[in-house]
Amino acid sequence: MIIQIAKDILITCGISAFLAFILTLAQKYLNNYGICKIDINGKRSIDVEGGSSLLNSLTDKQVFLPSACGGRGSCGTCKCKVVSGGGPVLPTEKPFLSSTELSNGIRLSCQVKIKSDIRIDIPEAIFNIRKYRAVVHEILDYTYDIKGITFKMIEPGQIDFKTGQYVQLETKPYGKVKQKTVRAYSISSKPQEKDRVQLIIRLVPEGICTTWVHNHLQVGDEVNITGPYGDFYLRDTKADIIFVAGGSGKAPIKSMLEDLQVVGTTRKMTYFFGARDVKDLYLTEEMYAYEKVFDDFKYEPVLSHCSPECQWDGKRGYVMPYFKDAIIDPKNTEAYLCGSPGMINAVTKGLKELGVPADKIYFDSFG
Amino acid sequence: MTISSFVLFWAAIFTSNILLTNFLGMCSFLSVSKEVESSFGLGVAVFFVLTITTGLNYLVYHLILVPLGLVYLQFIIFIIVIAAFVQLLELVIERYAPALYYSLGIYLPLITVNCAIFGVSLFMVIRNYSFVQSISFGAGSGIGWLLAILMLSGIRSKLKEKLVPVGLQGAGISLIITGIMALAFIGFSGIVNVQ
Amino acid sequence: MKETPQESKIIARMQAGVITLNGFLGSDTRHLHEIIAEDAKVLSALGTSQSEIADRMQYFSDASFESYDTPVFIEDNYEVETDVVRGKLPCPFSHAGLYRKTLTTLHNRANGISVRWTALSIHMIREHGFFEGIGSPFRLDPQKLYKALFT
Repeated sequence: MIIQIAKDILITCGISAFLAFILTLAQKYLNNYGICKIDINGKRSIDVEGGSSLLNSLTDKQVFLPSACGGRGSCGTCKCKVVSGGGPVLPTEKPFLSSTELSNGIRLSCQVKIKSDIRIDIPEAIFNIRKYRAVVHEILDYTYDIKGITFKMIEPGQIDFKTGQYVQLETKPYGKVKQKTVRAYSISSKPQEKDRVQLIIRLVPEGICTTWVHNHLQVGDEVNITGPYGDFYLRDTKADIIFVAGGSGKAPIKSMLEDLQVVGTTRKMTYFFGARDVKDLYLTEEMYAYEKVFDDFKYEPVLSHCSPECQWDGKRGYVMPYFKDAIIDPKNTEAYLCGSPGMINAVTKGLKELGVPADKIYFDSFG
Repeated sequence: MTISSFVLFWAAIFTSNILLTNFLGMCSFLSVSKEVESSFGLGVAVFFVLTITTGLNYLVYHLILVPLGLVYLQFIIFIIVIAAFVQLLELVIERYAPALYYSLGIYLPLITVNCAIFGVSLFMVIRNYSFVQSISFGAGSGIGWLLAILMLSGIRSKLKEKLVPVGLQGAGISLIITGIMALAFIGFSGIVNVQ
Repeated sequence: MKETPQESKIIARMQAGVITLNGFLGSDTRHLHEIIAEDAKVLSALGTSQSEIADRMQYFSDASFESYDTPVFIEDNYEVETDVVRGKLPCPFSHAGLYRKTLTTLHNRANGISVRWTALSIHMIREHGFFEGIGSPFRLDPQKLYKALFT
């Protein structure tokens, strides 16, 4: 009796085991795509193990395509041109691609699975982007809601960037936040200091990253940073410069000024720092100090929301009315703006009215 | 059973259509029939699963279960065979037809518990079909299921949903259409009766 | 109650720490369906619609778009200010599209009510009828919002 039951059970298990064995073999064969070659721009070729997404395979080989959602298919930032070998366009990609993009072979790299050799075209700037392990070196309190954090790079130990570029900072899980997120911040330190970057971060209501930075990050903590990204940079010309940036927008301007102090310049520069109130001002002394460093630099803080009683005898209102005193030769003036799209719209209008050419107005409108 | 396999094949498509006569396999039939393309894909997948698992289950039943006195375990063994085969089919579709894989979504693995598939294997046992009869019956049922889902998805894609009363939109009108199709298929029943 | 896999995915994206710090559901124990259904009842009792409210919110956001750092006075009664920070957020309802992190604060001088919303809030109200769960820091109570926007 027992033997009978044991035999029956054994045979049932035997059948299941046999089927499981067949499935394991099938899995190994069907899910094994072997080594596939990714040909980049016709110049560089990397070998990866097939089966992963294009985005992840490239990231594993230190080629970082931008991605805001970490490859989950919800942001559409990881677009890249697939010349051949990408397979059919998947329904998960279609909502993000226009018909022009589709006809040009643009795909969402997080959805393209590498199953065979593939040829892609990506902008050259991507090759300079790396993932860095860094440690918090210094935290400065600039205002009630703005901190300046300096990160020292550990691995790789050096970063190459142009003033005006930004990096992506990866948050670690904390409190209610169970997954990591990635947020972008402009670099505020000079590129000559290759072993570190400083970021100026303002606390945003309900912000996952800024809350983490302001409430949890300590000196000595390790973080992951990817970058540098962005094409907002100082053009190497002799034209006069108008800088306009308020709040945390001061970051790229600070980077540009520190860099200019090292390389030297005779250009005429004016920096309009728009803020609401006295408590929003920071690095004021450092900015005024530049007036002595450069031949022709003026720092113009302008407060918009300052009550008549507050201790401020500087400029008030918006920055636009003060432009005409600062612009001598509009056709030979460049403007660098960093801030919200609304501010950039308003300031651009003001500058164009004074005769500054539209193609000489450069801005970083928060992406 | 002395019915020829050829007759069995045609009967399984028309007079004993697994879905319209026996009402087996309705769940994914109703959900996936919104689009003709994915309906065709799912129908073909169900056809493969039905044909091959009926054959496999015949072999398992007559070569292992009966000689070893394990007939009482037929339910669990049939289900394991069906599940393993669907798993294999999913791996193949994911590799060779990724667009189909994504458009079917969860309904591909749900073929495992499609009652039509288990039902056909059980019919094969109850009616004591031979191997060739089992394969014909399985294949015919598969084509019958494919035919039914293609018809419903074709009708649904042409249906102007706005003309349907709000309470009947979606599942309601689909069931009514299915019922009417079943009524039409009763017209075939005079040709041959196999059950 | 029966929940489709898509709904489970949407509710998972509404949890704290996934898209925003405190999520979109707050401490609300009701299901997403109920939250939307009950707010919809309030809207029809008020005689308005999702799109009417969303259009009005968009109107104020657009009017205050260029006035950074200082509020704008609209129709002599509404003090509106819009602030933007870098970055974009996806919608928890899991379709394509990213929304700027625009924060508009409106103060109604006549009845003293203040409300604040984001570009994502306008989209969620217009397309999904979703005003967020009770206890969420950005929940907009339809009644209060209506009074602030229209009276």
